[in-house]
Amino acid sequence: MTFDTNDLVLSLPLLFLTVAGIVLLMLDAFSRVVLVGRDHHLKLPAETSEAVAVPPPGSRNYLMPVTVLFLLATLAIIVWQAGSLPESTVLIYRGMLQVDRFGLLVAGVCVVAATFGVISAPSYMRAHRMEFGEFYALVVFSLCGMIILIQAADLVTVFLGIETMSLGAYVLTGSWRRSPRSSEAAMKYFLVGAFVSGLLVYGIALIYGVTETTSLHDIKRIAMSRGTAPLFYIGWMLLVVSFAFKLGVVPFHMWAPDTYEGAPTPVTGFMMSCIKVAGFAGLIRLLQGTLPMLARDPFTGWTFVLSWLAVLSMSVGNLAALKQDNVKRMLAYSSISHAGYLLVGVVALGTVGDAARGPLLFYLASYALTVVAAMGVVSWVGCDERGEERVRLSDWAGLGKREPMAALLMTVSLLSLGGFPPTAGFFGKFYLFQSALGDDKLLWLILIAIANSLVSVYYYLRVITAMYFREPAPHPATTPMQSSAMKLGVLVATLLVLAMGLCPSWLSSLCAAAKF
Amino acid sequence: MSMILPIVTFLPLVGALLCLALPREEEQLHRSVGIGTALVTFFASLFLLSGLEPAKMNHVVDLAWVESLGIRFQLGVDGISVWLVLLTTFLLPIVFLSTWSAITDKVREFVVATLILETGMLGAFLALDLFVFYVFWEVMLVPMYFIIGIWGGTERLKAAIKFVIYTMVGSLLMLVAILYLVVKAHQVTGQWSFALSTIQKLVLSKPEQIYLFLAFALAFCIKVPLFPLHTWLPLAHVEAPTAGSVILASVLLKFGPYGLIRFAIPLFPHAVETVAPWLAILAVIGVVYGSCVAYAQDDVKKLIAYSSVAHMGFVVLGLAMMNSRSVNGALYQCLAHGISTGGLFLCVGVLYERRHTRKMAEFGGLWQRMPVFAATLLIFTMASIGLPGLSGFVGEFLVILGTFSAKERAFEGMPAMFESARLLSAFAATGVVLGAVYMLWLFQRVMLGPLSNPQNRKLQDMTARETVVMLPMLAMAFWLGIFPNTFLQHIDPAVTQTLTAFKEKYSAGVAESGPRMLGDSVKAKVEEPAAPGGNP
Repeated sequence: MTFDTNDLVLSLPLLFLTVAGIVLLMLDAFSRVVLVGRDHHLKLPAETSEAVAVPPPGSRNYLMPVTVLFLLATLAIIVWQAGSLPESTVLIYRGMLQVDRFGLLVAGVCVVAATFGVISAPSYMRAHRMEFGEFYALVVFSLCGMIILIQAADLVTVFLGIETMSLGAYVLTGSWRRSPRSSEAAMKYFLVGAFVSGLLVYGIALIYGVTETTSLHDIKRIAMSRGTAPLFYIGWMLLVVSFAFKLGVVPFHMWAPDTYEGAPTPVTGFMMSCIKVAGFAGLIRLLQGTLPMLARDPFTGWTFVLSWLAVLSMSVGNLAALKQDNVKRMLAYSSISHAGYLLVGVVALGTVGDAARGPLLFYLASYALTVVAAMGVVSWVGCDERGEERVRLSDWAGLGKREPMAALLMTVSLLSLGGFPPTAGFFGKFYLFQSALGDDKLLWLILIAIANSLVSVYYYLRVITAMYFREPAPHPATTPMQSSAMKLGVLVATLLVLAMGLCPSWLSSLCAAAKF
Repeated sequence: MSMILPIVTFLPLVGALLCLALPREEEQLHRSVGIGTALVTFFASLFLLSGLEPAKMNHVVDLAWVESLGIRFQLGVDGISVWLVLLTTFLLPIVFLSTWSAITDKVREFVVATLILETGMLGAFLALDLFVFYVFWEVMLVPMYFIIGIWGGTERLKAAIKFVIYTMVGSLLMLVAILYLVVKAHQVTGQWSFALSTIQKLVLSKPEQIYLFLAFALAFCIKVPLFPLHTWLPLAHVEAPTAGSVILASVLLKFGPYGLIRFAIPLFPHAVETVAPWLAILAVIGVVYGSCVAYAQDDVKKLIAYSSVAHMGFVVLGLAMMNSRSVNGALYQCLAHGISTGGLFLCVGVLYERRHTRKMAEFGGLWQRMPVFAATLLIFTMASIGLPGLSGFVGEFLVILGTFSAKERAFEGMPAMFESARLLSAFAATGVVLGAVYMLWLFQRVMLGPLSNPQNRKLQDMTARETVVMLPMLAMAFWLGIFPNTFLQHIDPAVTQTLTAFKEKYSAGVAESGPRMLGDSVKAKVEEPAAPGGNP
């Protein structure tokens, strides 16, 4: 078995992140030993029996900056690699991973979004007394899984990536141990995830049975030359279904609202942005990269299937979001509807072709950044004396007066989610719809998407209305998180959202150039 | 390249950023910055008039924005937009001065929102690129939502959301229409462009034109507002603070007619021949209906809101008639309505600040206590009715005259559109009479009669500040009535030019087999088979 050292260089982002994760885990472990040894006399809250195992608050403060440094270094590696990438596609590790501009761009988006998620985490965890150092390592390991998924060139690596990514997310979801909701969320997420893994493996097995290969390139070649058997259809349909589960697409979305609501807010932001981005990248590689010839078949082509999933996802997500009084849950439903808009982009990939990939990537990036910024504000708003999160609309009343900065940033994020210029969300929608209109047959889908964005305006405005037009509740129950790092993170993320809306050229040309 | 247009457009934004940099507590400072910025913008915009060639775009700015999509930051001003721009910049200092004592809460936010709104309005009037137009059009929405929602009356939440949702319904469909046009143009020329001048050359089939026209017209007719899309207006007007009502009535409503004459009508001439008669009928219904409903109101602001529905009905009628007289009249009526209704809302604001009610039944006999105010209100009332010599007369007269004398065909070669134009003009003329009825009824109930309500006994007349607010408005009301040529000398050539371009595009026929560009029909026909199927 030969081993090409060039593979190591080409997979440097992934390797670096893996090492970073291990280092973070070690740092956490050693800081625990040292601190518990030195500070065992420290008085801890008596009410918690597990307090002995918890080091004093603040002892792990340095983990967040270290993680951020690691992530920024990864980003630098990705940028450097994108600059030195050869034009043709490079397969590494004997065809298991594929290094190309598309993968690097999406990985970069994930890393940026994860960075903003990590920045807002420490103060949130401190306020909820759930500090634990593995958080950072888990985020990084989950990111590794995402990069594997994004760069996968083989069904086995697709599976490996999805599982690595999800395992981290399961633990992170349940990491708020005192909250029954968090445990419930993790349980639901895990059970659905395990079920989905079964579907995924079964689908892979069927495809392997027909084509005798798991390599995406070989599958494409065989499907092109020999046509496809019915079992092959069932196989890829199972793959689409398992991706639909992971992405929270209606009717496979039942876990999503509870999981997104129950998970700690920084984790919710991480899942809503990064997992969605990585999952869509995997889906794009699978459908447009591997099965472009199956796109346009009437009734059995994937554009037909996905366009109906898109309609369902947009409509159900939006209608359910209308009724929510819980901001976090509302954003969870809105993320379901955004998965629908993104599916419109995937459908356009099937009918319009490569020209639609840039817009879809732009939308993914704009959505990821916006949702991380919004979730950052949800963390910022904080909790009441009992440690309950303040996520009810009534808690947000008068936020414009109490916390003008948080309210302003949330307003920008919500306007971006609703698609108002001059924000990233507007340009993303605009660009996506423009590319989809390249095929006249998609006009109906665009009109449904437009009707849905109209509905969504109503519930985004409800939050803005609560923040600015309502008087605050008489008792000042909210404890806003006072961490300047978090505030800075949310501010930078929001400024990026505005910058992407005002001068979208740089990102849109990057997206348009992101080829397989 | 002259940079006067970007300067005028973004000056208010600079003022808004300046306000954000100043400490929140300095309320007087914020007010001063607001007025100062608005005044500077007004004086800067006066330069637009010098050397203006009304029939073409002046001071054109053309900068790359999103190169790969062909989006260019294009601004330009012609005889149609110049007076609307000046109306905007003229009103904003007045609005700021009028709110000096009315808005005491969150002054900084108010100044910032209003200045951003001004940038949005100016940009939308000046944009020559459909993308830029859409962005500015949407940018107007959010500040207005805040102005109604924060400083509005008791039902302000409902009014603000209703305003946004109504506007969004139209504008999102317009966005789809814009995208459709651009994609079609790209299929023919192979180049992405959102420029109005490029899209203007695109020839489409008749059904396509009708659908696209309806998508554009819906957005604009909601803004006008045309009956039966007007139901957001009374609520928004009543709940908005005085400043919001003035901006809404005087400027925001004008985007309806402006959008129709700048975009919807020239782009889709074959849709106009089918849809225009219906627009005309709806407009006349709006005139009569708005007048009747206005008469039934007890709330002063609501009465004026419904009078807006009636007055703006004249505007749409004039545009739908498509002859130079009626279109001139419609655009003139836009300016006149901006001044007279803006003045009326300012008067209501004066009353409201003193009594905190707008019910007519609460007033009566105010003339005895407030003679200066009474004279002001009388002049605006007369201007609104359309008394010769005041602003309202010229526009309504031209519209009715244009409608009455409208030929069956707007020009040679068009099918007969208006068999019963004279009937329409007769109905529209009743609107003038009804207007006199409800406006005089308003004046009588508020100003004349005995001073029966004891709460009105101590009312003060207008202060010096309020007088300063009213004087320029009064001057403009007279100027518009006495020297219409000041304005028509610019509007008329631009209208003639627009109608010529319309005829040109109309006579180029419809596209039977796929879209083509005006002027190179032969070449386009050759390329035809490859274009629509291929991927961009």
